[in-house]
Amino acid sequence: MRIVPYAARQGLVSSYLRRLRQRSFTLSDSLFAYVLNLPALVVVLALIAYPIGYSFWLSLHRYNLKRPDLYRFVGIENYREILTDRVFLNSLTVSVIFSLLSVGLILILSLTFALLLNETFLGRGVMRSLVLLPWAIPGVVNGMMWSWIFNAKVGALNGVLVSLGLIEEYRRWLSSPTSALLAAVFAHVWNMVPFSVIILLAGLASIPSELYDSARVDRCGVLQRFRHVTLPWLLHPLLIVLILQTMNAFRTFDTIYILTGGGPGEATNVIALQTVRTVLDFTDFGLGNAYAYVIMLITLVISIAYVRLLYQRGSFET
Amino acid sequence: MMRERYTRLSKSESLMLQTSRRQFLKLGLAGLGVMTVPLLAACQGQGEQPAPASPAVSAQTPATSGTEVVTVRFEGWNYEPALVEQNLKRFMELNPDIKVEYTPIEGSQYRQKIVAEFTAGTEPDALYVRDDYFAGWVTAGYLQDIEGMPGLEEAYSRIYDFNAAAMTYEGKRYGLPYYADIVAFAYNAELLEKADIKEPPKSLEQLEEQGKKLKSEGLVQYPIAFGFKLTNDFWYDWWGLIYASGARLFNDKMEPIMHTENTVARDVLAWIERGMNETGIVDPASIELDGGKVRDAFLAGQYAYILFQRYEMARANNPEQSPIAGKVKMALVPSLDGENKGTVGWTRMYCLSKTTQVKDAAYRLIYYLGGLDENGVPYTAKWWFMQRGLGFAYKELAQDSEIRAKLQTFVDPDIYSLQAENARARENVQEPWYSEWESENQKLMQQALTRQISVNDVMKGMAENAERFKKQYGA
Repeated sequence: MRIVPYAARQGLVSSYLRRLRQRSFTLSDSLFAYVLNLPALVVVLALIAYPIGYSFWLSLHRYNLKRPDLYRFVGIENYREILTDRVFLNSLTVSVIFSLLSVGLILILSLTFALLLNETFLGRGVMRSLVLLPWAIPGVVNGMMWSWIFNAKVGALNGVLVSLGLIEEYRRWLSSPTSALLAAVFAHVWNMVPFSVIILLAGLASIPSELYDSARVDRCGVLQRFRHVTLPWLLHPLLIVLILQTMNAFRTFDTIYILTGGGPGEATNVIALQTVRTVLDFTDFGLGNAYAYVIMLITLVISIAYVRLLYQRGSFET
Repeated sequence: MMRERYTRLSKSESLMLQTSRRQFLKLGLAGLGVMTVPLLAACQGQGEQPAPASPAVSAQTPATSGTEVVTVRFEGWNYEPALVEQNLKRFMELNPDIKVEYTPIEGSQYRQKIVAEFTAGTEPDALYVRDDYFAGWVTAGYLQDIEGMPGLEEAYSRIYDFNAAAMTYEGKRYGLPYYADIVAFAYNAELLEKADIKEPPKSLEQLEEQGKKLKSEGLVQYPIAFGFKLTNDFWYDWWGLIYASGARLFNDKMEPIMHTENTVARDVLAWIERGMNETGIVDPASIELDGGKVRDAFLAGQYAYILFQRYEMARANNPEQSPIAGKVKMALVPSLDGENKGTVGWTRMYCLSKTTQVKDAAYRLIYYLGGLDENGVPYTAKWWFMQRGLGFAYKELAQDSEIRAKLQTFVDPDIYSLQAENARARENVQEPWYSEWESENQKLMQQALTRQISVNDVMKGMAENAERFKKQYGA
């Protein structure tokens, strides 16, 4: 048996491939690359694009599993219907308020925690691990945990506040529209802050320390260093946090479902909750998919707005 | 042999070498296509035309004895699956030609999973069905009627009217009863005694007076609570209360009348709202509580009265499960005028899927479970009561000596059965829009109870919702 050295074998293979291409094909490099990626593209199309497209197709139909005999193409009728539907408009309003409050709180809290955890102090590693814990808790468990904390009869929050003398008797946090919405925001924020802290910590770690040294030489105070060094460098991670948390807030379902079920009345009936009810409880796939597409459209528009806003500030120049 | 294999491999290798890249790509794409088609089919579900589900997967396997054993696929929510298995084992011993493949499904996901199975064409042959979605499943073409099947007439002649009505759609019978129960009113007799209250309230006015007395003597903070948290289920205590006062929400043409002709529901809701916000009779935390939490608080002695499922009486007076065991008594549900006109009842049933290929065997199974045995006794219904105290649809069981003996350990048997005689199913439970309507009403009522809207607005909203959903589901 003749032993061919490795380098020689590589040369043989590449020259064979070159000859093969020259002989059999006239494909351009880019087309050839597409052809090679085709198998992966087919899988992506089958598993992602097709369900998304099919979902849109369903949203153009009257399709309720309880009345499959009424199945028919209705065009944009479902969209027209939900845009004049009081329940939908209310759930949209609740979602907007919920998102504004939760994204704002998440930004403030995660930035604060990230700045603190970026400092050097004893036990920083333990603190970093502890701060990440809420993120490991699934939404349903999070909802159950907070429903016990806010419980009107045996809730921990009531117990603590009464012990501290801040309130005289147990309150019903989930019975009033305002406090129920705030409770839902708080439960969601608690669950989501750690993820944002991770992103911002990574952003903070990438800021060159020389910039802070120079700022100190220029006698910049803490606030000035934050404004002129930290914040500009954090714009990109902040953009990611904004986009992801806005999408999360608009899609939140599990925590609220467990905590309040959307009540009292419609006070916490966010659009994702209404979507799940419409599809899974009422089995109205046509209307439910139209809901889902409206959520997608809203988050898309908001994301584009964020990118444009922060891009204009020059955050991507680096 | 080795040589032959070697030769074959060599041919294949040489074929590959001779194949041009275009051919190779063609072959590759064709292979991918073959792989993708089933994937797409799986994703597609119903496609453009929701075609009828494919035949159920019910294999017939030959028996060792030479006779054919028919396999029946049977699914239900996961209430006591070990006991179900035990009963099915008995059925299979009695019917060696039938093999039952039983799959318990998580209760909270039952409806969604079964609908998904019907949509995908993998439905069981026989299954549990709740009256809440029974009519919707009939109109969707999931279930088949059992008219003309053996023993059906006799079984239906022996069950309560509201149970029979719940399993009938447009004059055709579809099911046999799994269990049936009603909403019962119960009270903590010890607390009432301490407040020197001689007998339980018959009217809502009396309930209010007694409640005030219990409160003033510091025996309870709130005498009663309701499970008024938003839920996918129905607010049974609300329905029990309005039916006790004789409410009618719809006329015979299924037109809403709760806001015009029949104001009972409005008056009852106004009473609850006042109790929550003014008199302090009703725990305002009710809108945060589901039925289970209200029951637990009642059993912990926090409330003096409760409306719950009648079968909970067994738990309430069981020392292992209840701190107030022996002190819980049942009474007729109080009404607006003091004269009880009934309560709400519900039916859980066994049905056959429309596409089952083993109808006779599946019917024999559900007749064993929900019908009568060879002696004319509703064996499984009685067995469930003796095992777990589940309510029954068969009237005669109320007089059964064993059942009465068991009942006496936790309730007065006469009051227990009296309420079932006057029970009613929810008027519109057989409408395909019922679940949406119930869900929207719960929101409206919560808004009234937290004084965001008035009680009259709730009634108008209920009527509007009914009309809207009827239109939505109309042809």
